[in-house]
Amino acid sequence: MAKNVEIKDHNTLFQSEEYMKSAEKKMEFEAPCSLEEVEDTAAYLKTEEYKEKNFAREALTINPAKACQPLGAVLAALGFEKTLPFVHGSQGCVAYFRSHFARHFKEPVPTVSTSMTEDAAVFGGLRNLIEGLENAVSLYKPDMVAVSTTCMAEVIGDDLQAFIETARNEGAISKSFPVPFANTPSFVGSHIVGYDSMMKSILSYLNGREGDGEKMAAEAAEKINVIPGFEPYTGNIREAKRILDLMDVRYTILGDHSDMLDSPANGEYRTYYGGTKLSDAAYASRGKGTIALQKYSTRKTAKYIEENWGHPFIAGPIPIGIRNTDALLMRISELTGKPIPQSLKDERGRVVDAMTDSHPYLQGKRVAMAGDPDLLLGLISLSLELGIEPVHILCTNGDKEFEEEAQRLLAESPYGLDGKVYVGKDLWHLRSLLLTDPVDFAIGSTFLKFAAKDANIPLVRVGFPIFDRHHMHRYPIIGYQGTLNLLSLMVNMVLERLDEEAPGHSFDVVR
Amino acid sequence: MRRQVLEALEEPACEHSTNENLKVCARPKPGQASGGCSFDGAQIALLPIADAAHLVHGPLGCSGNSWEGRGSLSSGPHLYQYGLTTDLKESEIIFGGEKKLREAIGEIMERFSPPAVFVYSTCVTALIGDDLEAICREETRKWGVPVIPVNSPGFVGSKNLGTRLAGETLFQYVIGTSDPPETTPYDINLIGEYNIAGEMWEIKELLDKVGIRILSRITGDGRFQEIRWAHHAKVNMVVCSRALINLARKMEEHYQIPYFEGSFYGAGETGSSLRKIAGLLKDRELERRVEELIQEEEKKLHRDLLQYRPVLKGKKVVLYTGGVKSWSVISALQELGMEVVAVGTNKSTQEDIARIKERVGADTELIDEGGSGSILKAVRSKKADMMIAGGRNMYVALKEKIPFLEINQERHTAYAGYTGLKRLAKHIAHTLSHPVWQLAHKKAPWCEGWADDR
Repeated sequence: MAKNVEIKDHNTLFQSEEYMKSAEKKMEFEAPCSLEEVEDTAAYLKTEEYKEKNFAREALTINPAKACQPLGAVLAALGFEKTLPFVHGSQGCVAYFRSHFARHFKEPVPTVSTSMTEDAAVFGGLRNLIEGLENAVSLYKPDMVAVSTTCMAEVIGDDLQAFIETARNEGAISKSFPVPFANTPSFVGSHIVGYDSMMKSILSYLNGREGDGEKMAAEAAEKINVIPGFEPYTGNIREAKRILDLMDVRYTILGDHSDMLDSPANGEYRTYYGGTKLSDAAYASRGKGTIALQKYSTRKTAKYIEENWGHPFIAGPIPIGIRNTDALLMRISELTGKPIPQSLKDERGRVVDAMTDSHPYLQGKRVAMAGDPDLLLGLISLSLELGIEPVHILCTNGDKEFEEEAQRLLAESPYGLDGKVYVGKDLWHLRSLLLTDPVDFAIGSTFLKFAAKDANIPLVRVGFPIFDRHHMHRYPIIGYQGTLNLLSLMVNMVLERLDEEAPGHSFDVVR
Repeated sequence: MRRQVLEALEEPACEHSTNENLKVCARPKPGQASGGCSFDGAQIALLPIADAAHLVHGPLGCSGNSWEGRGSLSSGPHLYQYGLTTDLKESEIIFGGEKKLREAIGEIMERFSPPAVFVYSTCVTALIGDDLEAICREETRKWGVPVIPVNSPGFVGSKNLGTRLAGETLFQYVIGTSDPPETTPYDINLIGEYNIAGEMWEIKELLDKVGIRILSRITGDGRFQEIRWAHHAKVNMVVCSRALINLARKMEEHYQIPYFEGSFYGAGETGSSLRKIAGLLKDRELERRVEELIQEEEKKLHRDLLQYRPVLKGKKVVLYTGGVKSWSVISALQELGMEVVAVGTNKSTQEDIARIKERVGADTELIDEGGSGSILKAVRSKKADMMIAGGRNMYVALKEKIPFLEINQERHTAYAGYTGLKRLAKHIAHTLSHPVWQLAHKKAPWCEGWADDR
């Protein structure tokens, strides 16, 4: 390209003299207090007194760290072949979900809404649902439609079962067209509960549905099932499949959105890519057993499988870190009778080698982390293996059981002694913690960047959503490879910081 | 609330209301991908008031999913960036959210002492019947700070309608409640300019050069106080989104402030907007300064654009964007020597469409159906070189290896004014000539005929 035309931008705009002057003038009505007062307030925010006041806050949530149920339900639906997520409620919710996933995965996300309006609020959403199903099936030609609800449909009490039945009777959809559904109000739980509800609904709906095909049943009997859980990393699903392939195990991933949300630029956009075959899901119950990689995002699904499928079921811990990955491999091995191959043993050795290489730089680093329960348990476990001290662990959508499990995990290592677990708290609470009891860095989603910046610490982006960095979700964070990825993210961030802060005399080349 | 919604729907300055045959404001079809809701529209219109607290009264999702979703920038306070919500749980759905809302307002007052609190209703709080107006009235009295109800739950309709309801809110509760320390004969308001990616700052720089003062920014980089005295302006310019036209119309009726709709996309539109402001301010000397500025800027622009012209000349574009941008960006692209071969009119009003037709030839396709399929069809049939659209369509285009430029609210680049046009030229040129398209279109070396591929 030719030479650049000089174009001013707003990063530098406010440094010009004219703007500095007008800013001084504006101070009069924008912030009627002196710079001293600003500094005093900033200092006050770092006190224990403010922290206590902040933690006494009850009615107001500031900077939320969770998403709502139907968002999770949409992700679960996207994991099945030619399945259209269909949200019953007012239209805005779906527009948000599509933006959220598009910004995180950098992919188009087909999801539709019944676009309920005031009439529906008064008379119920029956007509919207029927018309919506008919339109969606003819427009997007799915093999299955997975219906979830929003707050609105829940508050007015729409009966999905009856509505879908009416839609069949009226001929809007055929008698046999699969329409699993889940009730997913935002005022209960979070995205992981919505994911769980939809996963359970899809599995129980499809179970045995294709009739008793002897061939399918025999094939299924050779397989194990793996449920990823609410999984914002397409790389994790691919990594799980790679491990299973290396172990020469036959498997069905229940809810595989890795191709759907990481499709190639081949020159022709399709609405659907990959996904778990509906027939595979229908025979999953005949398999040797089921492993859920996450526990807290698959509770209802777990209960359903344990009660109905009559085969071994194991959930969690998420295979992040060496110990958790070891546990997963042994479980797969026990279920299938397949030995752990040399290739994976070598991989483990190489990651342990990498950990020894980096250990002096991570030893004793204090971190804060926020995210979903399963992810946090994995990150705590890895931190303790690396000699990193998890100090503040914040889980908005965690419960008592998670809190206890996390505390037990922390108590197992001297590096966990300072660790405290906060459930139901938001990112403004975390900010208080970062200011009163500083740490070296934070781990969490993009939304943590505000608190991290205020505390002047780096943020290692892990979890959901990550809007402001590219391709993070394509790299696994589970298994030995994923552990290596997390390790290098963290240690290189520490080294980067060292270089940034090094005075001239200690700015050197070898680390 | 019903009255307000009906009134907003029947806005006389919007021609949909007067012609029953126009379906543009029609509600979306169930079972299709659709745009944002009224809550979304109201929030994005008011949120750029940067020093106010914006409290979402509802379950967590409404706030969590919309938190920091738009790039409206502030040159000062950042309270608007906080995700504030009452985060209602099941028990409050059953017993009502009033108590929690009052407490939340109290916590905001004590913690942040904002000049005002906007309280947004959501589907849930509207359905359970929390009396937002009464609560806000009492809390206003209690704290001596305006607590303003924004009655625009998602289910009342589209994003556009929500923006209009936000305009109603400003008119009813904010504008006319205070007076500026000083007025000048050159005071104007910018309405519907949200300072996405800092566009307002560039507009301000131009206005500064000729001595036009922005009295109130409604609402990009806005402050609560300045919007209160917006009724002292001499002219209102509606920059984007006809949805706020109701506000301009009401201000004309009540305060005799003339208004016009204009745009800052492209040199032609920018020049004509500046001329209109000067004309409405009825100042000969100002008009002369404006002419001078336009001459000077256009000369500079012409020189700066020279290097991009060879790349841009004759290139075919499919434009798919909402509202005012559907026509104003056409002019900008044409000034760059490009040909707009198809335009999305899905979210355009009849007037927008009329303006589109004024600007393009008979061969240009108007795409009125939403959805990626129809956009892609237009790109193929018109053999377009690139697509300019919003974020949700971006990744569809990239799957099809179509050069793409993002122009909606998620963009991080300001395209308004003369500087913006240069930036647009540069970015389009870079997009078109990026080596990735050669790579993407070339077959892999093991494929038959890969050497003759383009």
